[in-house]
Amino acid sequence: MKSNIGKERKVLLITILITCLLFLPGCWGKREVEELAPLLGVGFDLGEKPGTFLITMQFARPKKGASSGAEIEERTFSVEASSGREAIEKISKVTYRTPFMGSLKVMIIGEEAAKAGFKDMLDFAQRFAEFRRSMYLVLAKGKAQDILNLKTRSGLLPAMAIKNNIEGGDELSSFPTVRLGHYFTVLSTKSTAPILPVAKSVKSGEGLEYKADGNDEAGEIRILGAGVLRGDRLVYFLTDEETKGYMWLENNVTQRLINTIDLEENSTKYGGHVLNSTTKYKVKANNGKIELQYQIKTSIAIDEILGLKKQLSGAEWVELTKEAEKSFAKVIEKECESSINKQRELGLDFLGIGRHIEQKNSTYWKTIKDQWEKEMADFPVSLEVQVTIHHSGMSSSSATNSAGEGQD
Amino acid sequence: MERISPHQFMTLGSAVLLGTTFLPVASIVTGVGGRDGWMSVLPGLAAGIPYGLMVLSLLEQYPNKNLLQISEILFGKWIGKITGVLYILITSYFGGLLLSQAGDFYEVSIMSLTPIGLFFLGGLLLVFYLVNSGIEVFARFSEVIFPVIVIALLLNIGLSLPRMEQGELLPILSEGIKPLFWGGLKVVPFAMEYILFLAGILTFLPISKRELGQLKTGVWRAVFLVGILDTLVVLIQILVFGPAETIRLVYGLLVLGKMVEISRTVAGVESLFLGVWFGALVIKVSAFFFTVTWGLETVFSFKGLKWNLAVGVFFLVIAFRFQRGPSLIREIGLIDDYLILPFVSVWILTLWGVSRWKKGAGVQ
Repeated sequence: MKSNIGKERKVLLITILITCLLFLPGCWGKREVEELAPLLGVGFDLGEKPGTFLITMQFARPKKGASSGAEIEERTFSVEASSGREAIEKISKVTYRTPFMGSLKVMIIGEEAAKAGFKDMLDFAQRFAEFRRSMYLVLAKGKAQDILNLKTRSGLLPAMAIKNNIEGGDELSSFPTVRLGHYFTVLSTKSTAPILPVAKSVKSGEGLEYKADGNDEAGEIRILGAGVLRGDRLVYFLTDEETKGYMWLENNVTQRLINTIDLEENSTKYGGHVLNSTTKYKVKANNGKIELQYQIKTSIAIDEILGLKKQLSGAEWVELTKEAEKSFAKVIEKECESSINKQRELGLDFLGIGRHIEQKNSTYWKTIKDQWEKEMADFPVSLEVQVTIHHSGMSSSSATNSAGEGQD
Repeated sequence: MERISPHQFMTLGSAVLLGTTFLPVASIVTGVGGRDGWMSVLPGLAAGIPYGLMVLSLLEQYPNKNLLQISEILFGKWIGKITGVLYILITSYFGGLLLSQAGDFYEVSIMSLTPIGLFFLGGLLLVFYLVNSGIEVFARFSEVIFPVIVIALLLNIGLSLPRMEQGELLPILSEGIKPLFWGGLKVVPFAMEYILFLAGILTFLPISKRELGQLKTGVWRAVFLVGILDTLVVLIQILVFGPAETIRLVYGLLVLGKMVEISRTVAGVESLFLGVWFGALVIKVSAFFFTVTWGLETVFSFKGLKWNLAVGVFFLVIAFRFQRGPSLIREIGLIDDYLILPFVSVWILTLWGVSRWKKGAGVQ
């Protein structure tokens, strides 16, 4: 009797396992990888018809006869559609493969679309499970379509070039890195204005010279500055200096190249790189008024000194290093101040100062949050920048021809 | 008579208490308690401790009897039977809803083209095998699967740390402790689901004095372990998404799983996590399947394969009725808040109170 029950159980178990094996491994509705069209970049511009967007999608196509499997060619389409799904439907009719959103690296918002507002276009990315919130979001100076259709001189697809630029951005720390998830988080914060980096196609002669391939088209993509948004609408493009100020104040500087060329007061100029940097902030009462104080502590290594005319003694070398610290601190202060002034002028809290106040003194924040846009204009913000020069490179002095030597 | 050890009781209890609570908990507590919602998880689940201890004290007083049998002894036959019928109805309906959740979270995330019924059927087959194998096999299954669930949760949390946003947890307690109370109240039903399971499993627990002490410790440990895990799950979601997005995301942990990336090389590991979540769901549905079978056996003396099949069919009917995700999520919330919470809190408290009173008065 007992062995019969045991047998029955075994049969039941085997039946269940076979059934599970048949139905649950996920082969139902499977799509083979060669049937997929991996999407790398999406661009949104305003469509000609009201309420529509010109949606550009850049797919990867594995290169035939490529030396490695990673070599891809571009396949870019633009369609006018009212929604993301409609665009996919239109494009699917010609791609013969199913667009796969899980590989999407960059989403580019064209300038006009950004000014008009693009929230509805992101709803698809927020809901549809194939999208990853870790993809990058950038604004385009001009049309997103133009950037995605660009033939880069490096041979990289524009979407991949932008992705690589962003991922290498830590070495420059001159523009913010914004992932889709981060944008949604900031968008939910009532007081903070979102900020997105700006991508721009660069022709030879536009601040950069290169040998063009016999045509007048741009061959490079540059990420420079950032756009400030009110919710999902672009309001203003920050300059390079204002964006760098934002990076300091947001504690986003990992490494940075920095120079004091634009400082007028010193004849000796310095160039260097930031080794590390930390920005902290305090909300404190000063003469009965609440103020926000940023404290920036930065370590810099000097890489070049310009305008040094003589051989330095040991004491002068130490003194020069101290002078350099002051000069670098001035540059950092200048960048931060330009950013703070722009925030006051725009009345948009892209620096998240409101959130900082809320985090440190929520009772005070409750009294000002409803009129924060007005309060922001004259809310006291102070800076304390402390620069430490770790070294001045491999040389204590610049190569000079001291008076008398080699001369009769 | 099958028996499970105190250690098995602890792991099985933890697995049942955890169930799939890690999927909705962040959205639920943050919706009520805002960015401080994470603080309400452990206190909310801690409600399971006094209730668990009350149940075990009843076991001490009435060895080898489950709470339905004890109800008949203390409240009389008819009130006991009515309580039993309510118990069966609630657990069978809720079990069916949980089975339906298997389809919902797979369909919404990675297997949108697979017919939803296959998740119900596949899940139910595993549940059915576990139930037919008995409580010992179920306990051993939990002993194997629960550590995997814990490891997967910790990995999901740990690998999401690089995605943290600065200062999302601050300010702490800016709205006072009132929101925490409401947040805690939303978590208490999770503990009550566990108590429903405890009410039925009593007959399979050891009853020596030493082992009873170990069972009580098991309740403490289960609540704290699950409380800490769920707190971490809420914390990481608030830290990564911020409170507003945490509320909006239906299955925030699945979204976190999709964001996991190691050295820009390993990504798309959410399917692995989903496999583990399925194991957690099977344990929870099995627990409710068991409670229904125990209820049927105690109240109506219905037992055997035939009745197990009937329960399975009922679970499937409920699961198929809730193919609309939003309706399902809402229904689970309603049953938790307006049926399980009041039913368990009143039933156990009254049962324990009456038993104490009768013991004090010397009435048997």
